[in-house]
Amino acid sequence: MKVRFWGVRGSIPSPGPDTVEVGGNTSCIELRYNNHLFIIDAGTGIKFLGDYLVKTELQKGSITAHLFLTHTHWDHIMGFPFFTPIFIPGTHLDIYSPVNYEDDSLESIIGNQLSYRHFPVRQAELSANINYHELREESLDFEDGMRITTKFLNHPILTLGYRFEHEGKVLCTVYDNEPFRNVFPTDPANPDYDAEAAKEGEQAAQEENDKILKFYQDADVVIHDTQYTLKEYRESKIGWGHTPFESAINAAHKARVKKLIFFHHDPLRTDGQLNALLTRYRKMIAGKTNMEMEIAREKAVLEI
Amino acid sequence: MGQSENLQRVKTYIDRMPALPVTVTKVVEVCNQPGTSAVDLNKVISVDPVLMARVMKLINSAYYGLSGKITSLVRAIIMLGVNTVKNLALSSAVVGNLGKSGNFQTLNAQGFWRHSLGVGVTSKLLARKRGVDAKILEEYFIAGLLHDIGKIPLNNALADQYVEVMAAADRERLPLIKAEKRILNIDHQETGVMIGEAWNIGANFMETIRHHHDPEGYSGDSRDLVLSVSAANYFMNLTEVGFSGERYPRRMDDEVFSYLGVDMNWLDEIEDEVEAQIQKAEIFLKMAE
Repeated sequence: MKVRFWGVRGSIPSPGPDTVEVGGNTSCIELRYNNHLFIIDAGTGIKFLGDYLVKTELQKGSITAHLFLTHTHWDHIMGFPFFTPIFIPGTHLDIYSPVNYEDDSLESIIGNQLSYRHFPVRQAELSANINYHELREESLDFEDGMRITTKFLNHPILTLGYRFEHEGKVLCTVYDNEPFRNVFPTDPANPDYDAEAAKEGEQAAQEENDKILKFYQDADVVIHDTQYTLKEYRESKIGWGHTPFESAINAAHKARVKKLIFFHHDPLRTDGQLNALLTRYRKMIAGKTNMEMEIAREKAVLEI
Repeated sequence: MGQSENLQRVKTYIDRMPALPVTVTKVVEVCNQPGTSAVDLNKVISVDPVLMARVMKLINSAYYGLSGKITSLVRAIIMLGVNTVKNLALSSAVVGNLGKSGNFQTLNAQGFWRHSLGVGVTSKLLARKRGVDAKILEEYFIAGLLHDIGKIPLNNALADQYVEVMAAADRERLPLIKAEKRILNIDHQETGVMIGEAWNIGANFMETIRHHHDPEGYSGDSRDLVLSVSAANYFMNLTEVGFSGERYPRRMDDEVFSYLGVDMNWLDEIEDEVEAQIQKAEIFLKMAE
C-alpha cells in the first residue's frame, strides 16, 4: 500500500506563512494498492488530489475511486464540490460514510453542499456516476484481497475508524477521536455522585477504549488524531472529540503499532511548534519503544 | 370499533410517540443548557419510559450494528456521547409538546408516571435483595419502568374507548387487561410488544412487557426479570403508588412470591424507600418549573 497526504489539518483550512511546510488543507488521504485508488476524506486537500488525477491519469482512462469518509463534519467533506473528477463523464465514485441517526441520507448530506446557495453547480448536474453507501461497524472485501474493517470512535457525531489490510500489511485511521471517558462524577463528595453510575461509567469507558486499541492492534501504520497536547486538552478541550498527543502515543505503544502518524493538526499549530513537539515526544519515548513517530505533512508519501 | 382499525390507530401513534408530559419541561431545560451534564441527562431519561425506550432503541439499532445488546443507560451515554443522547431526548420532548393537549386524556399522566417509576424502583430493590449482580441491576429498573408502555398508545390513540375500558373495569371489578381485551380487542401487553418490536428495545424488556400479567406459566430465559417486574407491579397497584388504571389487580400465585423470596412484610420495609426515590425524581423534575 502507498499513502499520500493531501490534507492533514483539523477543523478549518489554515493557509499562511506559519503552515507552509506541514500544510493547511483539511483531511484528505490518497491510498493506492495495485491499480486501485482509495481516498479517505474529502477535506480541502481533495481539490488538489482531483487536479492531480485529471492531469496525470485522465489520459489513461476514466477515473474510478472509492471515497471513505470518517464522518460528515464539515472539515471532512468541504472539498467535495471542488473535486474536479465529479464533473467529468465516465468517473465512477463510490462514497462510504457513517451517518448520524437523526440526519438525512448520505447523498443529501454530501449533495446539499452542491446547491445554489452554497455553490454554482447543483448535485443533479454532476456528470460522474456516484454511488453512496452508509456504513456502520462491519468488514468489507474489495478487489485483490483488500479487507476493510470499521470501528466507531468517540466524537460528537457518528465517526468511523478504518482498518485497511492488504497482503499482510495494516493501515488504520483513528480520527476524529477522543478517548472515551467516564462522564459521571467519581468523587463521593460530589453532590451528584452515584456509586453505581460512577462504577459503570469507569468500566464502560475502559472497555470502549480497549476495543479501539484492539481495532488497531499490531498495525504497521496508524494515522491518529493528535489535535491537542495533554496540557491543552486538560485546560479547555475535554469533550471536543480529539486526542492529546500523549494519549495517542501511549495507546499506540500499548497496541504494538509500528509507526504512528500525528494527524488532524490544530489550525493554530505552526510548523515550528509541530516540529518541536515531534522532537520532544521522540525524546520522551527514546529507548522505551521501537515505535516510529512522524507528523503527517501535505504531499508526503508513505510506503507500507 | 374493529380490531384492525384500532390496530392501525395504535401503529400510527407509535411512530410519533412523545415523551411523557410530566418530564417534558425538564427534558427541554436539561438539554438546552450548553454543556448538558451527563448526570442530569441520565436522571431525566431514567424517569421517562418513552425516553428510556428510545435510547435503548437507538443504541441497539442497526445504526450502530453493535454485537450484544446494551441495557445500561450510563453505558449508552458514554458510548453515544452526551450530545447524541441529548438530541434524541430533546426531539422526543418536542414531539411531546406538540401533542400535549391530546395526551393522557383518560389515564392521568402524573399517576401513570409515578406507577411506572415505582415499579422500576421496586424491581431493582427486589433484585438487590436477591443478590443479583450489580452490573445488571439497572436492567431491572428499566424493565419495571417500561412494563406498561403499551398503555400510552391505548390511552391516547384510542382515548374515547379507553374511558369505557376504565369504567368497565371499575364497574365489574375486572383486571384492566381483561377490560381492554374485551372492549378494544387489544390489550396493553400487546401494544407494548408492538412498541418493543417497532423500536427493537431488547429481548429481556420485551418479555416483561409481554408477560407481566401472566408470569406464572412463564418459562423463557428472562424468568427472574419477568417475575420481579410482575411482583413489583402487583405491589405498586396494591399500595396505590401512582395509578396506572388498575384498581382490581389479579392476585398472583404464591409461587411467584416464594420464588422471589418476598412477602407482604417486605413490602412494608421498602415502602419508604420507593416513595423517597419517587419524590427525589419529582423534586428533580419540578426544578424545571
